Amino acid sequence: MNPKTKESLNKFFLNLLALILIIFIVGPLIWVAIASIQGEGELLSKPQRIFPENPTLANYNYVFTGKIPTSVEVKGQLVRSRISQEARLIPAALKNSFIVATAVMGINLIFGTLGAYTFSRLRFRGKIVTFNFFLGSRLIPVIAVAIPYYVIIQTMGLLDTYLSLILVYLVITLPFTIWFLTLYFNGIPEDFEDAALIDGCSRFQALVRIVLPMALPGLVAAAAFAFMASYNEFLFAKFLTQSIATQTGPVLIAAIAGNPDASYTLISVAITLGLIPPIILALVLHRWLTEGLSTSITFR
Amino acid sequence: MSKVNQRSIFLVFALLLIASLIVACGAPAAEAPPAEEVEEPPPAEEEAAEPVSLDFVVWAYGLDVIQDNINNFQTANPNCEINLQNYGWLDYHDTMVGRFAAGDPPPLLYGSDHWLQEWGSAGWLDSISDNFPQVLDYDDELAPYALQGMTYEDEIYGLSYYADTIDFVYNEEQLAEAGFDSPPESWQDVWDMSVALKEQGITDYPLILAFSQEEGASIEAMISMIYGRHQGSGALFDENNNPTFNSEGTAAYEAIEWLREAYEAELFDPASLTTAELDQVASMQAGAHTFTILPQYNMAALNLPDSGDYAGSFMIGLMPGDSHATVGYVRFYAMTPEAENMGPAAMDCAWKFLEYFGGKTDNEYTVVKRWAVENGLGFAQLPLFEDPDVQEAFGQWGDVDVIAAQAELARAKEGLTPWFGTWDVFTRAEIHKAILGQQSTMDTLNNMADYWNELATQ
Amino acid sequence: MTQQQVAAKPKRNWAILSQRIYPYLSILPVAIVIALFAIYPILHAVRMSFYQYILTRPNVHPFVGLGNFVNVITSYYFKESIQVTGIYTAASVVGVIVYGLGVALLMNTKIRLSTPLKLVILLPWALPAVVSGLLWKWILNSDFGILNGILYSVGLIDNYIPFLAIPSLAKASLVMAFIWKEGPLVAIFFLAGLQLIPHELYEAARIDGGTSWKIFRNVTLPLLRPVFLVVIVYETMTAILTFDTIYVMTGGGPANSTALISWFAYAEIFKSLNLGNGVALAIIIAMITLVLIILYLRVLRTEESTVTG
Repeated sequence: MNPKTKESLNKFFLNLLALILIIFIVGPLIWVAIASIQGEGELLSKPQRIFPENPTLANYNYVFTGKIPTSVEVKGQLVRSRISQEARLIPAALKNSFIVATAVMGINLIFGTLGAYTFSRLRFRGKIVTFNFFLGSRLIPVIAVAIPYYVIIQTMGLLDTYLSLILVYLVITLPFTIWFLTLYFNGIPEDFEDAALIDGCSRFQALVRIVLPMALPGLVAAAAFAFMASYNEFLFAKFLTQSIATQTGPVLIAAIAGNPDASYTLISVAITLGLIPPIILALVLHRWLTEGLSTSITFR
Repeated sequence: MSKVNQRSIFLVFALLLIASLIVACGAPAAEAPPAEEVEEPPPAEEEAAEPVSLDFVVWAYGLDVIQDNINNFQTANPNCEINLQNYGWLDYHDTMVGRFAAGDPPPLLYGSDHWLQEWGSAGWLDSISDNFPQVLDYDDELAPYALQGMTYEDEIYGLSYYADTIDFVYNEEQLAEAGFDSPPESWQDVWDMSVALKEQGITDYPLILAFSQEEGASIEAMISMIYGRHQGSGALFDENNNPTFNSEGTAAYEAIEWLREAYEAELFDPASLTTAELDQVASMQAGAHTFTILPQYNMAALNLPDSGDYAGSFMIGLMPGDSHATVGYVRFYAMTPEAENMGPAAMDCAWKFLEYFGGKTDNEYTVVKRWAVENGLGFAQLPLFEDPDVQEAFGQWGDVDVIAAQAELARAKEGLTPWFGTWDVFTRAEIHKAILGQQSTMDTLNNMADYWNELATQ
Repeated sequence: MTQQQVAAKPKRNWAILSQRIYPYLSILPVAIVIALFAIYPILHAVRMSFYQYILTRPNVHPFVGLGNFVNVITSYYFKESIQVTGIYTAASVVGVIVYGLGVALLMNTKIRLSTPLKLVILLPWALPAVVSGLLWKWILNSDFGILNGILYSVGLIDNYIPFLAIPSLAKASLVMAFIWKEGPLVAIFFLAGLQLIPHELYEAARIDGGTSWKIFRNVTLPLLRPVFLVVIVYETMTAILTFDTIYVMTGGGPANSTALISWFAYAEIFKSLNLGNGVALAIIIAMITLVLIILYLRVLRTEESTVTG
């Protein structure tokens, strides 16, 4: 076999492999999106049609306007009875998720940067202990501390507030952010700051004016981690939220899926809608993300 | 090294500082008994104009209807304000336990028969009959299983939200196709019909059960299969809650053996071991199975038009077995000592609330009837079976006579004790092992009995 | 260090003071939040583990020493669930690393589909674990699951397979769901590592006559060592503590074949209401994790410290 055929054969197989992987990765998500516009009866046929025969937006319409899909109406009965009323709360829950995740992301950036820079550049007493303490705090399974967390939040009078979730998610995400950004800052040469410091800048000024612009990709990656972790968290969300004022997407979707009046089409609508914000974030950030990580894990 | 010393001294100091700060801030430890929160009752006369605000916690089902009922209640009782909170059904028990343990009980909430002993023994719930003896007036109209499910140590702890039976359900159309015109009377019938259904290629696995380890109702389905085979009480435990099921030939032994053999003969869907309620209903709608056992309220969803080719052909048959008995269970409105702590005005509202939701208003079970008519939920208030609205609504998805007959034969779960929940979680895997043939049915039963006794002595 | 040079300059007192305080000030907000939610709860948890603490008996909790630990270790589930957890964790971590490295290598080539792959790889990450569990459970369903539907349609199977109901397949399915969900993160980490390897190294190796495999083994893999460290530590922790996905997908079944040790920590507290046992078990899990991490660090660590730089 001549080298050229061998190379193109190689390329063909690699492309094939990539195609299989792409199908594996997005297949489930595309399936949910399709299911969300399919009729329940069609969804349960054997074998299923992958492409719906009669696509319908009735379920979306129900979620946003409250108009009950005709397929659920029962003649001679009050119509709202056979459909998950909780499904109508999806937009509100996703809004809650988004607000909490965004706040956690922002606070992580500010305090995470401040702390990580100190760990990366300065010497002070108790540094290693504090650093390891931050990281070690994540070692214990969260289940063991769920009740004490509830007690703390309740004592602070924060039950069923955004602030309770934000605080708890900060505790979960900050150790990772600090660890990650410390490694990242370690990878940035100190020469520029030294010059600035000698010119009379304070540490804080050096951080803001010199280091931050250079660290942008790392910050983006850290932000994405914090956002995703908060957006997806379930255990504490279910304990600390009590009403739709604060219930997040995962809490609501899990609640809908546990009820006898749920249908797979409706659950699919919930999942599909919930996917939109993180997908936008992932698509926008993916460039910086790769770049940001590259610098961080050089382990200087 | 002195450096190390300094570091550790700093650490200890920091820890002490923070710990003392926290202690000073007074974060109550979880062990702080809720009794601490006793406040002086507010002077009733001055406060009369101010509405009392009571938290009411539910699992998230039919939230719009609940809120609407609350609004109606508040219109009728302007002095009472009800603040609705909710958790998902699958997490409700665990979340409430966390909340009780953290010392934050809501005054009003949903309760269930299988948690009553646990919550009652912990002092998390308050007796209703103790505070409001008038609740006893409802006893006569209640199905015995429901009354029993709301009774702990001879006190009434609830007014029924809904009550239901665990029913044997069959697909009439498929059964007729296989040449049978009436439902199975015994488990031998179920076996024979299943063989016929399978041989004729109508359903590959004629029976499916929701036996996933996460499924809270699996124990109820299991017990209903045992009750149907057993006459009278003592199917699982005697009056002193000692196990009676762990010998060959008991109804429990027969029930598990039957499942094991049906699993081997491929009549019982292996996927049952991972199936929960939602998938069970969907699988039946898909026509993949002919027989199943489920809580009755699912019937309305099963027979929902447009839900599949078989809508309308799902019927309830009396539980197979000599006695046709089954499990009846009840979910109810309950109150906690928190209501009493909030003072007499709150207590007054609490009773009005409980009676409005679980009792009669203007001589009618308004709210209970609404759940039955609109959502197809069952009820424990037997006179409602005579109600024409209820009969019409239930007639949409079932045969009212069979429903009433099965309700009459329903019994509460035996062995309702504070440790029932722990035992239930243990038994799920043990029953799986017998069905999968990993251990003998007797081993499973003995393990279940041993673990029960171990829990009982703790 | 720079600090000393700066400090040597004559400055007003408060400036020196502020310089001393700055490090503490800058980590104070983080320290407060973490301390508030770590010190008290963890101390509380450790304390509880030495007491008999049954939630239904709020006022009775005698000191039992190591009794809870003994209870847990001699319980009916301990041995079996440790085994299940070990198998699951090993399979998941190895699986996700092979998968992630493979995807990263593909993304790092110049084939046509590498850009689409880069675009979609992050998506599974965006799904909450609860939701991805629900989704896989549905896809794998043996009556109306799409995977069975597809396999059936193309003629690969004659009967739908109950993936989650057969102990070995259920374990495999959970590992697959783990790989799907965690793969993106691992792949991105590896891709980042690959992009840092200078091209000259490859060139040099090729001129020396190395085959692709040899170059991969002798150049690429060693240089990826730091990435391996991060990924293995992180994914091991994630796998051991997997909860949401399993809770939703199998509930630990069938016959406890997918019940991880962390599930029993949850069950002890919220199903059996035995806080003492549950917390003791959680501490055992934390210790196991810690030991594993230290072992990894020993084996994989480069000579330089990873922490202080």
